[in-house]
Amino acid sequence: MTGLFLAGGGGGGPVIPNFGGGTSKCVIDNGRFCWDWFTQNWSGTFEPALIQHIELTVIAVGIGFAISFLLAIAAHRARWLAPPVTFLGSLLYTIPSLAFFEIMVSITGINWFTVEIALVSYTLLILFTNTLAGLSGVSSEVLDAAHGMGMKPAQVLWKVELPLALPTIIAGLRVAVVTVVSLATVAAYIVPAGLGKPIFDAIGSGLFNTKFIAAGVLCVALALVGDGLFAGLQRVLTPWAAARRGAA
Amino acid sequence: MKSTKLFARTMGVGLAAALSVALAACSSSGAGGTGNTGAPAPGTSGAGAPSQSAAGLPSGKPGAGKPAIVMGDKNFAEEYILGELYSQALEAKGYKVTLKGNIGSSATIDKALTSGKIQMYPEYTGVIYTELAHLGDRPKSAQATYEGAKKWEEKRGFAVLNPTPFQDADGIATLKPFAQQHGLKTIGDLKKLGSFTYGGPPENKTRYQGVIGMKQAYGLTKVQFKPLSIGAQYQALDQHQVDTIAIFTTDGQLASGKYAVLKDTKGIFGYQQVVPVVKKSLIKSEGPAFSQILNAVSASLTTDAIVAMNKAVQIDQQDPGKVAHAFLQANGFLS
Amino acid sequence: MNDFTDGAWNFITTHVNLVLSDLGTHLVLSAESVAIAIVLGVPLGVWLGHIHRFSFLAINISNLGRALPSLAILAILLPYTGVGQLDVVIALVILAFPPILTNSYVAVEQVDADTVDAARGNGLTPLQVLTKVELPLALPLIFAGIRTSAVFVVATATLAGIFGGGGLGDIINNRESYGLNGIIAASYILIVLAFLVQIAFLGLEWLVTPPGLRVSRVKRSRRRGGAPGWPSPADLPDEHADRDRGEEGAASEDALAATRPRPGL
Repeated sequence: MTGLFLAGGGGGGPVIPNFGGGTSKCVIDNGRFCWDWFTQNWSGTFEPALIQHIELTVIAVGIGFAISFLLAIAAHRARWLAPPVTFLGSLLYTIPSLAFFEIMVSITGINWFTVEIALVSYTLLILFTNTLAGLSGVSSEVLDAAHGMGMKPAQVLWKVELPLALPTIIAGLRVAVVTVVSLATVAAYIVPAGLGKPIFDAIGSGLFNTKFIAAGVLCVALALVGDGLFAGLQRVLTPWAAARRGAA
Repeated sequence: MKSTKLFARTMGVGLAAALSVALAACSSSGAGGTGNTGAPAPGTSGAGAPSQSAAGLPSGKPGAGKPAIVMGDKNFAEEYILGELYSQALEAKGYKVTLKGNIGSSATIDKALTSGKIQMYPEYTGVIYTELAHLGDRPKSAQATYEGAKKWEEKRGFAVLNPTPFQDADGIATLKPFAQQHGLKTIGDLKKLGSFTYGGPPENKTRYQGVIGMKQAYGLTKVQFKPLSIGAQYQALDQHQVDTIAIFTTDGQLASGKYAVLKDTKGIFGYQQVVPVVKKSLIKSEGPAFSQILNAVSASLTTDAIVAMNKAVQIDQQDPGKVAHAFLQANGFLS
Repeated sequence: MNDFTDGAWNFITTHVNLVLSDLGTHLVLSAESVAIAIVLGVPLGVWLGHIHRFSFLAINISNLGRALPSLAILAILLPYTGVGQLDVVIALVILAFPPILTNSYVAVEQVDADTVDAARGNGLTPLQVLTKVELPLALPLIFAGIRTSAVFVVATATLAGIFGGGGLGDIINNRESYGLNGIIAASYILIVLAFLVQIAFLGLEWLVTPPGLRVSRVKRSRRRGGAPGWPSPADLPDEHADRDRGEEGAASEDALAATRPRPGL
């Protein structure tokens, strides 16, 4: 017994085309890394995944920074804000990422928005803490000098405090970027985007090694490049530390 | 008699389908003058109609201007392929489809369906019957399974379209030498092993079409379950990490000859044809061509066809989208 | 919203065996990984710090380690280890090792040079200097590094559920059988677990801190604010501290900043 509506019982069934034969032995045997398969599928699988991963990261860190920045400036003036914000940030930080994504899905659905809410939440603690610390770290002598020069509070903030806080802020961004790159791989559990997608796809269809290694290595490379970029930025923005390094 | 009832119902539905197709042909905008009044109604295609599955397809782009569709699929290769087949066939006829792939296993994707995150997805009739509807009895035929599943889904507000010819049930497999060594031909034979390990997707631990059925129907009380993601089982079995694994009867790996699939004499894994489960309101808003296309695609999916496509994706690592595209193209769905 | 309280509690009470068994596996996996990382990292770091060599490597390895995406590491290892616990343990060791190494190095390296000289002057052999002077003074910081790794490992071991390793990740990864209630319940347990591990290691740190140093450490962390254990401004590059302690101090401060706890995975 088969379906109620059967196409051509005795007619021979549908045409089954050749799905691109000439698959290399490496692929069939699931060798460690099939370079030929990788190059063939770069533009269809890995390049889009990499680009999406970068997009996910940039959006999350961008929004996270915007929110943390505003909160930090507020907390800089109103000290009592710091503990509750830190507490909330710490709490969000501890929620296991897979669980966070799954819980958000039941609230906001299966889409990038859901994923981004979770990713942004993970950046809040570090970005808020660093921005606030950077602002707080400006020495009182400098502040006195600025006030003495007749600067208004807003001017002090933008012309004195923020520039001096920049290295610390960049340090925070560095950690945030690397953290999000790592977490964005798990996001593929929810939306088919990012470098986690080839990994989860492979888990669900045969454990094809090349996908694991290619996606994994690309992800590590992305994280290291991001880390390096911000590390470089940090160096550039702390000329006094560089001078000491040179002198030593 | 059941068969007369079935015949009458088939003719009735076929007639209704033919009527609605004719109506659609007359009223659809930009579909061309004659529409497809020449196409045989689905109900009669078993009687020596051309084997090309393009029979029953509307011509032109009946989907143009219709509301967008959100489709989902489950977390394994065959489902990726089915999702691609249905969505590409619809898109070829002008529909706008968003495919959210790899959502999860049945309970997860059903939740997505009922909460409106997706509007349709391909499911297996037996899974609906036993694991979603939790109907306690065990249907004795694929038809009964289909009808029970359809009735239950319709009560919830979802239509169930025509089933595919192929069935893909769960199964239990071991390595051939292992089976020979222990004289294992049926699932019941596993009792000879005493305690043994069984690797499968996490949900099998609490499913009748899994560990529960193994214990209740076969008395395999000493089974030790090891959760493995779908697709990981063959490797785990190859590496002797488990004694037995859960497989799908249409898996590409089974063609290799390395594995022995044990007979399910008590039928715990049920009858499992694939059906598109679709929100009722979508059927209305998308027009009759929508169901026609889906049914035509389903009708073309014989066991050979789906196994070949599975093999291309699971073994040859072809992209499911490309594989689906090639199949649809060869069978006239994309013209 | 009931899910978040009643549902979760319900789940735990109706699945006690499952929860306990998964919790057990989770702890074993985590403990194994941290133990291996300690065995690999502490002796090496302590020795390098003692001989004051390879500072660039020792300090920057934690920067490197912090950047490694966990799921990617698990994925890269899979072709070599196959599905299962081996994959997870190796990945966790790779991720736990850097903070332990860096902290061990910095801890020993930063022991006050005068103290070391005085010890030498008193006739202690280099080995005795290490064991009787440097190590005791370094222990608190070494333990801080182990603490950071332990909390991170406990959180990341959740990913084992995707790769067939067991642990609480099994519940989170199995929405099918355990539903949202299960996911939330397992999350609570993980959060509590991470907190307990944090507290336990803080306690250990306090125990191994020579009494003389205890007071100054508490004072320092209070002055700079932040809750103990959470990334506090004290962990961050601070221009004042940099200027006071010189360039080496700055580099190590950066290194310590790199061993900050990472988010739960």
